Amino acid sequence: MAVRSGDLGVPFRLPLLILGFASLVSGVLAGLARLGWAVPLPSAQLALLHGPLMVCGFLGTVIGLERAVALGYRWAYAGPLFTGLGGVALLLGFPSSAGASAMVLGSAVLFTGTTLIMLRQRELFMVTMVLGAASWLAGNLLWLTGTGVSGVVALWMNFLVLTIAGERLELSRFLPPSPAAKQIFAGILAVLMAGGILSGTGAGIVMYGIGLLGLAVWLLRQDIARRTVKEQGLTRFIAVCLLSGYVWLAIGSVMLLAAGGLAGVAYDAVLHAILIGFVFSMVFGHAPIIFPAVVRVRMPYHWTFYLPLLVLHASLLMRLAGDGLMLPELRSLGGLLNAAALVLFILNTVSSVIRGSRAGKN
Amino acid sequence: MASLANFTLTMERAISMQSEMPSEKDVRNILHNVIDPEVGINIVDLGLVYGVEISGNKLHIDLTMTTPACPMGDMILDDARQALAGLLPANAEIDINLVWEPPWSPDKMSEQAREHFGWS
Repeated sequence: MAVRSGDLGVPFRLPLLILGFASLVSGVLAGLARLGWAVPLPSAQLALLHGPLMVCGFLGTVIGLERAVALGYRWAYAGPLFTGLGGVALLLGFPSSAGASAMVLGSAVLFTGTTLIMLRQRELFMVTMVLGAASWLAGNLLWLTGTGVSGVVALWMNFLVLTIAGERLELSRFLPPSPAAKQIFAGILAVLMAGGILSGTGAGIVMYGIGLLGLAVWLLRQDIARRTVKEQGLTRFIAVCLLSGYVWLAIGSVMLLAAGGLAGVAYDAVLHAILIGFVFSMVFGHAPIIFPAVVRVRMPYHWTFYLPLLVLHASLLMRLAGDGLMLPELRSLGGLLNAAALVLFILNTVSSVIRGSRAGKN
Repeated sequence: MASLANFTLTMERAISMQSEMPSEKDVRNILHNVIDPEVGINIVDLGLVYGVEISGNKLHIDLTMTTPACPMGDMILDDARQALAGLLPANAEIDINLVWEPPWSPDKMSEQAREHFGWS
């Protein structure tokens, strides 16, 4: 299978994915340790690095790899290489400034690459993705220079939320244009950026919550998933993942507004409603497209794809109930089952790829 | 894995009963089988097939994606090659390119696709 000239092939891409996977595994273990589970950790301070490992080490590496494959330039692969190695530095217990520096470099590469695409295609959806990358870079710089993780979570969430939102806005071009919808999206984007930057203040975090809620409503009303959910097979599965993710984004933002900020249990509840409920639903839905595109394998759809998604949502409900009802054991059990959902997702992916390669040989 | 795919492709074309190059219409018909899984619609109806040229035993196809930010370009090229494999004689040369000019826009979608998405 050919790649475009100048591009890097699967032998280079697969190790980068594995680096990202190392961050995912150690990040999940760190999260479970935070919830009180007795898990083996490669280093003692890993419990504090759950956020950086999940957002920068895993998701940042996967998104960076996607963008490098889209660009087809060799230098773009330095992005996921930096963030992948940064994650390994963190999990091995090197001073966190080493890992943080690597994340700054990797996100700078993503920002550059995304900006280059935006200059070729000057559309609102590309501007959105550039702002997402800029938010990640800004968050990483702040973390490197001493801001605590809780001080940069809004910027890191903007990275993920705006990257996803930009891609959904791009796909909405298949629908009849609505200038009003585009203007509203631009307004929501401005509120999210302002709120993300000012999230340290009381007014800022509320503004951020309003932006997130606005985006959730926009996506539920405008996204092509409303139509594609009526299709069959993989197309319908992707739409179900998307729509359920948008519902979680709405729930998370409402919780943020109700709590007036991220203090106390709201921190766990809001962050995970959005990062697990919204972001990981997106991951589950797009893996059957992105994984084949990046590593050139077949991943045939099967109805069992729904099972990890179901466990993800059910476990998240349990976790949030534990937060809301002040039952830490329920929250911890929910968290453990969140991890189980990820394990199921990985097993499901592997088994689909095996099924795909067997079908290819016949 | 790459060599297995190439071998399969070569065998399919060797076994192919075709001795003549297909017409442009045949090629476009076959490309209707290449689907964008996100939207469930084929690349011809989405307006992603910019050009089909047949000269002698050479088949040249220009494809685009809706945005250069999308990583699926090479995979769609592969799907197109696979879809065409059985249609072509063994000595045919296929050249499928990803192009970005002119930039894709919704007016390139077919009537069916536009109707599907609710354009009046």
